[in-house]
Amino acid sequence: MLKTILSRLQRLNPLLFACMAGLIVIGVTFVYSACSVRGDPELRMLYMRHAEVGVAGLVIYLALALTNYRIVIRRWSGLVYLVCLVLLVLVPLIGEVRMGAQRWLFGIQPSEPAKLAIIMMLAWLYSRRETKRGVLTFLLTLVVVGVPAALILMQPDLGTAMVLIPTVFAMLFVARVAPRIVWTCVLVGATVVTLVLGLIYTAEKTDLPQERREQLIEMTQLKPHQVRRLQVFLFPDKDLHGSGYNRRQSEIAVGSGGVWGKGYLKGEQYMLGYLPPSVSSNDFIFAVLAEEAGFAGSLTVLLLFLGLLSSGLWIAFHCQDDTGRLFCVGVLTLTFSHMFINIAMTIGMMPITGLPLPFISYGRTFMLTMMAAFGMVQSVSIYGRESEIRF
Amino acid sequence: MESYGQKLTDSWRIALLALLYATGIVFLAVSLHRVQVKRFSVLSRDQLRQSVRRVQVPGPRGRIFDRNGVCLADNRASYCIAYYVEELRKRGRWINTIKAVDADVDRLASELGIPRQLSFTAISNHVLQSLPMPLLAWRDVDQETLARWAETVEPFPGVDIYVQPERIYPQGSLAAHVLGYVGRDRPQPLPGQKIHFYLPEMIGKQGIERQYNQTLTGTSGGRLIRVDARGYKHAVWEGEASVAGDDVHLTLDVNVQRALEKALHGWRGAGVVIDPRNGEVLALASAPSFDPNDFVPIMTSGVWKRLNEDPALPLFNRAVLGRYAPGSTFKPVTAIAALRQGIPAGMTYTCDGVFRLGNMRLRCWNTYGHGEIALRKAIEQSCNAFFCHLAHSIGYDPIYEEARQLGLGRPTGIDLPSEAGGLLPTGAWKEKNLRDAWRPGDTCQVSIGQGLLLTTPLQMSLLTSVFANGGTLYRPHLMRRDGLPEELNTMEWPPAAIALVRGGMHDVAELGTGRRVRVRGTAVAAKTGTAEVDVGGVRRKNTWVTAFAPFTQPTVAVAIIVENGESGGLTVAPMVHDVLASIFGETPLESDPAAGTASPEPEVRGD
Repeated sequence: MLKTILSRLQRLNPLLFACMAGLIVIGVTFVYSACSVRGDPELRMLYMRHAEVGVAGLVIYLALALTNYRIVIRRWSGLVYLVCLVLLVLVPLIGEVRMGAQRWLFGIQPSEPAKLAIIMMLAWLYSRRETKRGVLTFLLTLVVVGVPAALILMQPDLGTAMVLIPTVFAMLFVARVAPRIVWTCVLVGATVVTLVLGLIYTAEKTDLPQERREQLIEMTQLKPHQVRRLQVFLFPDKDLHGSGYNRRQSEIAVGSGGVWGKGYLKGEQYMLGYLPPSVSSNDFIFAVLAEEAGFAGSLTVLLLFLGLLSSGLWIAFHCQDDTGRLFCVGVLTLTFSHMFINIAMTIGMMPITGLPLPFISYGRTFMLTMMAAFGMVQSVSIYGRESEIRF
Repeated sequence: MESYGQKLTDSWRIALLALLYATGIVFLAVSLHRVQVKRFSVLSRDQLRQSVRRVQVPGPRGRIFDRNGVCLADNRASYCIAYYVEELRKRGRWINTIKAVDADVDRLASELGIPRQLSFTAISNHVLQSLPMPLLAWRDVDQETLARWAETVEPFPGVDIYVQPERIYPQGSLAAHVLGYVGRDRPQPLPGQKIHFYLPEMIGKQGIERQYNQTLTGTSGGRLIRVDARGYKHAVWEGEASVAGDDVHLTLDVNVQRALEKALHGWRGAGVVIDPRNGEVLALASAPSFDPNDFVPIMTSGVWKRLNEDPALPLFNRAVLGRYAPGSTFKPVTAIAALRQGIPAGMTYTCDGVFRLGNMRLRCWNTYGHGEIALRKAIEQSCNAFFCHLAHSIGYDPIYEEARQLGLGRPTGIDLPSEAGGLLPTGAWKEKNLRDAWRPGDTCQVSIGQGLLLTTPLQMSLLTSVFANGGTLYRPHLMRRDGLPEELNTMEWPPAAIALVRGGMHDVAELGTGRRVRVRGTAVAAKTGTAEVDVGGVRRKNTWVTAFAPFTQPTVAVAIIVENGESGGLTVAPMVHDVLASIFGETPLESDPAAGTASPEPEVRGD
């Protein structure tokens, strides 16, 4: 028994594990830094919570790595998906409101495991022999993704909904589901985004009367705070002390770090509260890191993510069945989207959405979800090389 | 279970994804490079500008003591009523906040019953320039006002007591010209630090306060203030602590200083007392004087106007900046120069009351003449004709050289911020400035301390100290520190020559024109002098006495000048006596009828 486990553990992808561990260590280090200035002793200990979740996550990680992913996805994805749906429905009914959004339920954010559940569901759906990869499957995908996504959007949580789009499209792309429709959707989506931004840009830029402007803004169908974020993105220098404040402050934090940074625990932006302490340990953790560790630190993080993603794709590449491949593609695209949007947002290249940086940002639900997901990716590494023994 | 396990996905699609991820990461790396490396200087400057304000906090200023440990300059706590503007902030334009503060100051002024010290412009400047700093509405308020403030504190948010150190001179005007005074000013920024605000720092403006400002100031500390986007204070962190300045210990002796100032009181003049053994200045005074406490906490325009427009120039330190003809007190220099030129000590000259040189006639103060007179007697009697003859015999160069070596014509190098050098004329100087050649008459004039020659009281006291110690010129100094005494020059005087000149000065005090300097029990040597000057068409006499004591082992050398006195012997000699008595512990001079009827000080008249 032990021998089997050991032989299986030998087939763990070491690079994938090392990169993840490296990112978690960096995460604990800089969460410590970010919360060291908090007044509340409990908040000052946030880095310990982060480390504890890392250790707990490791148990789940190894357990899932040693469990055949095929069994997990085939037997459990439906159940996990249903549980997540129920939790998401419960959130608006009995969830807690924190920072203007109702996302928490019993101390967890159901929207995070929901992302994993969707990926599992799609991987299961696309790899079924019976599934035809046509319009019907595409519509089914819309339902599988759309229901939880709509519930998440209602919280409101635009960021989480946003990362689902590239994730799902990557899985559709690799699974070759209804290519024409998929490409049409991509085109339509791009058009819609351009249109919305164009509307806001026009409303803001030209000398239109006030009512006409409001009409244009209304046509975007977005909430006022979302419109404001997009305005900030388009006109970063317009209101530096209002809506553009966080964007400006995080840009200054990153930029003032220089090549080698100001040194550990010497970042001024979060210490002086220019980066609001409520976000400096999670959504804006990269600004803290970039200020203290400089471009060298940022590059290290990027390289670790590159290692994580490439070793993940390596596993997918060598996997012998669609279930493993699609699952890996989903998880990796989700990770990539999180990382890309978070860092781009930190340096002002993207509108502020409030997405955590995987493994580094403080956020227990997201951390556990990501570790579970990567545990299953390791399982693909262990079990996916041999084609399934037909029963 | 047949429904799974197929592999229909294309591997190239996964490779394409890998390419996509790599592109994204490269894009992020390039963007980060742009922000962190290329825009680093711009963004870090922006950060400095927006967030932290560095405030320089001065350390407590060092104290100043005299040689006995008596404190001459100290610090005291001064209570100010200060506004913290952030608590009175108003929405909208700055003027709203300024007006609110202004109205509140008025309200508090009527509540406390004190006139407001702060103008609308001052409030406006403070709000616009140093917003996060406390605005001092009333400086240095008295205990009564403080008590009243404590009762009315309730309806005045944003007002608090602010304590700041203030300079105090416990001895009042004593040694004011030596100590100088302080002002509050923008301090020097610490090297390599950008300072946004400063707490006004005491900076020495004159005297020792200015000369040793760096020693007294100590090291400034830092304080960080975080301000919000509009510049209001949010939080304060203490940075490096400031270090108190070092104390300065002076060579001054308050007893001597007090005696000197008391003697000069009511006159315009100056005096310097030096220890001839090492150049330590025991007392240095200029009259009239001022009280440096009047400049604390700030020099008001009234005080400044009063002191500046006073024709007696109380702020002017005559002891080191006043340029006076030394008159007969210069004669020992001529005497020693002649002796070194080989003029025999027994050489005599017959004074018939007037000295003739070509068509120039120079009268001796004794119109009947001194008759046949030798050098020692000539010093005692201060015979002009004798010294003119002497100077004419040896020429100007030896006199000039002697005077130059004794430190005339240039600053002595005392540790005070400004000092006059006086004038030791040369032929070239006269040629250049008066467009006239050097004539034998000029030599005669200088030999008796007249004409173009100008000296400061400090120079004369130093010169006297060289005669006192037998030939060593020390750098005069006020602060006790390492590397002292510092010898500037050693005169190569034949022992017989210096003994003769000293003997002559001894006779001046015992028998001659300076008898009123005598102190019972202590042998004193002195030289009187009276120089006539033309001040705006009015002829005035600047009267001098230089002296040293005890005669054999001198420990004190004095020079005192009084403007517009009667004569050196009558006006100044008693002052010198008082100073010497304060040092050697003598009882006041017993009534000596001879002193009252002493022969009047010789007048020195030039052409």
